[in-house]
Amino acid sequence: MSDGPSRDLTRSPTRGSSGDSSRGRVVAVPCEGEDVLALFALATGEPLGDVPVGSHPVHATTRRGRTFVATMGDRAVTAVDPNGEVTRIETGVLGPSHFAAANGELFVSCSAGDALAVIDPESLALVDRIAVGAEPHEVAVAPGGRRLYAGSRRDGVVDVVDPVAHERIGSIGIGDGARVQGVAVSPDGSRGYAVDQSSARIVAFETDTAADPDTAPAPAPAPDPDPILGAAAVGADPYDLVVTADRVFVPGRGDGVVHEFDRDLGLVAVHEGFARPVDLFRIGDDWWVLDAAAGRLRSLAGAVVETPAPGLVATPVREPTRSDRLVVSHYDDDRISLVDVDDGAVWTAETPAYPFGSVVV
Amino acid sequence: MMSGNNSGDDRSEPDATRRGLLRAAAGATAVGAASAAGCLAVTTPADIAAENEVSGNVDRLVGPGWLADNRADVVVLDARDADGFRRERIYGARRVPLDAVSAQVPGEGGLVPDTDAIAGAFGDLGVSPDDDVVVYGASVGSRVTRVAFALAALGHAGDVRVLNGGFGGWNGRVGTGSRDRVSPVDYDPDTDASAWVTREWLAERVGSFNGDGPGLVDTRVPEAYLGAAGSDALDPDHDRHGHLPGAVNVDWTGNVSGRRMTDPGDLVRLYEVEAELDRDSTVVVYGDGNVDPTSTWLTLTALGFEDVRVYDGGFGEWTNVEDDRGRHPVETATNVVIETDGSVGGGGGGGDFSCTG
Repeated sequence: MSDGPSRDLTRSPTRGSSGDSSRGRVVAVPCEGEDVLALFALATGEPLGDVPVGSHPVHATTRRGRTFVATMGDRAVTAVDPNGEVTRIETGVLGPSHFAAANGELFVSCSAGDALAVIDPESLALVDRIAVGAEPHEVAVAPGGRRLYAGSRRDGVVDVVDPVAHERIGSIGIGDGARVQGVAVSPDGSRGYAVDQSSARIVAFETDTAADPDTAPAPAPAPDPDPILGAAAVGADPYDLVVTADRVFVPGRGDGVVHEFDRDLGLVAVHEGFARPVDLFRIGDDWWVLDAAAGRLRSLAGAVVETPAPGLVATPVREPTRSDRLVVSHYDDDRISLVDVDDGAVWTAETPAYPFGSVVV
Repeated sequence: MMSGNNSGDDRSEPDATRRGLLRAAAGATAVGAASAAGCLAVTTPADIAAENEVSGNVDRLVGPGWLADNRADVVVLDARDADGFRRERIYGARRVPLDAVSAQVPGEGGLVPDTDAIAGAFGDLGVSPDDDVVVYGASVGSRVTRVAFALAALGHAGDVRVLNGGFGGWNGRVGTGSRDRVSPVDYDPDTDASAWVTREWLAERVGSFNGDGPGLVDTRVPEAYLGAAGSDALDPDHDRHGHLPGAVNVDWTGNVSGRRMTDPGDLVRLYEVEAELDRDSTVVVYGDGNVDPTSTWLTLTALGFEDVRVYDGGFGEWTNVEDDRGRHPVETATNVVIETDGSVGGGGGGGDFSCTG
C-alpha cells in the first residue's frame, strides 16, 4: 500500500455522520483507467492512497484479510495484503473479471478466454484452470458453495462447475446466439437464471444442487436444453439481474425499464421511467435502482435521492445500527460517493480514472 | 491440415508459365529495340531473374543467379504439385510430395514430425544428409518452406536454401515430362527435436508467451485468430475457436510478396518492431496445420532469429485436445493483430494460394 495519495484527491464537504461502525473501514476502488486500487476512509471519504495493481482493474473481492483485484488487461489477478504488499497471481488466460468464492478458493472468470482460474487465497497461487464456455463472465455460487454457474458470452451456455473437483460437470444451453451476461441462483438453490443480452430475455433453469452429490450422476458436458424451465422478454440491452426468494428483477439498460418477475418468470410489473438502469439494491423496505445515465437513485416505489453523478456500480455497506448505504462508483465522472437513501450523498471523493466495482475492507 | 488462407492477391498472373515467359523473351529483341526508343517496355526472363536476386543480410534464400552458378553442386527439390512438375521444372529437379514431408506421429507430448517417414521420403529422392539442397516452388510459399523445415527437423547436415521468386524467376535450363530416375539412398537422420515443440511443451508455458517466456506467433488469418463468429476462416472441425493465450497474430502471407520474399526491411519491422519479438529468444510459430507456419519459421530464421520452432500439432491439436482443456485454454480477445499486406503468388494450387509453393 502506498504511503499516501498519489494524486490530489479532494473530497466534498461531509453531509452526514458515518457512525462509529464505519471507523477503520476502507473503501477500495479498482480504477480501470489508471491501473490502481484507490483507497478511501469509509467514514469520511478521505483519500488514503493508490496501490498499483495491473492493467484494467475492474472488480475486487476480499478473502482472509486480503483484497483481490481482477485486472482484465492482464493474465493475472492482484492480491493486496493489509500491510500493502502486492502479489501478482498468474491466471495464464487473459481477462480476469469476476470472482466467486467456494470451497475455500477463489474462482475467477477469464473473460478473454475459456477458463475459470482457481486461486488459493492463502498461498496466493494458481491451483488449477477449469475449462468453460468461451468468454465467461459472471459466476454464480449455489447455496453452500456446491456448484458454480458460469455464463458464457460467446457460446450461449451456462456451465455447471463442481468447485471441489475443479470440473465442468454440465452445460446448459441458453439459446442459439445467446450472450449470457448475468447469472444468479435463487436463495434456496433450486433454480438458476441467466440474462441473454443479445435476445433481451431472461432464462430460468433447473439446478442440481438439491440432489445428493453422492448419488446424483454427473450430467454430460454437452449443452442440454432439458434443464430450461422457461424464458421471458425483458428490456433492451439487459446485463445484470437480482434474484430473491420470490422475485427476479432485470434492468433493461436500453429502454430504461426494470422487469419484475415471480420465480416462475410470471411478469409482475414493468417499472418505467429510468434512464439507464443497471442494478437494484434492497434498502429498508424498498428496492432502489442505480442509474448509469442519471444522477439519482430511484426506488421502485417512486422515491428519489440525488447523487453527485450517474452511477455504474455500487456496493452495499452493511452496518448493524443503520440501514444499508451504498458506495457508488461514478465511472464516467471519476468520483465515488457514499450514499444514504435518507440523507443523500454522505461524502464524495475524486478518484483516478474510471472507478469500478468497489469493496469495503 | 492446411489453413484456408487465400489472400489471392496474385499480381504475378497465376497462369503465367515458363513458356509464356519464353514467348515474351522471343519478342524481346525487337521490342527491346523499340523500348530503347521509348515506345514500349517488356519484362524479360533476365529482368525477372534479376528481381529475385537476394541482397542484404538474409540467410537461406538465394536468387536464380546463385542457383545458376551453383547448379552442379546442389540437389534441387521441387515442392510444387505433380502437374506443375511434369509441365516444367528446373532441369534435374526432384519433386517432394507435400504429404510425405508433413507427416506426423503421436509423441509423448503430442503430435510431432514423423522423422522416419520424412527421412524415407528424402531417401527415396536420393537425398543424402550431407547434400546441399535448394528448394523451389511456384513462389516462396509454405509448400517450399515445409520442405526446408522437414530437412531441418531431420538435422540435415548439408545447406538448405530456398529459391527466391520460385520457378517463375528461373531463367536457366528446364526439364519436362516424367521425373528423372534417381537412386534411392538410406537417409539416416540426426533428428533435431529443437526444431519443433509439442502441445505439452506449450501447455507448461501458458501465460508466459510474449511475456516472460517464449515468443509465440499465430500465423493464421486474423479471423481465425480471433475466432470471428461466422467467418469462413473458422475450421468446422475445431471444437473451439481463437488462439493460444498470449500469441501475437501475424498472418504468414505477409512473408511473401507475389512470388518473392517480402522486403527484409519490412519483415524486420513487422516482426521485431510491431510484433515485438526478440531475435535472441525462443520463438514458436503455429497455424492450423504444420505447413503454413513454416513460412514464418523460415522467414524468422532467414532474418537471423536464433531459435525458431514450429508447433507441429498446430491449433487443431490444441483446440480439440480431449483431456484437461483448462490446461489448454483458448483466448478469443486481444489487441495484438499485426496487419500485413502480403500476397502469395505463383498459382499451381487449384485456386487455393495457401499452399502454393
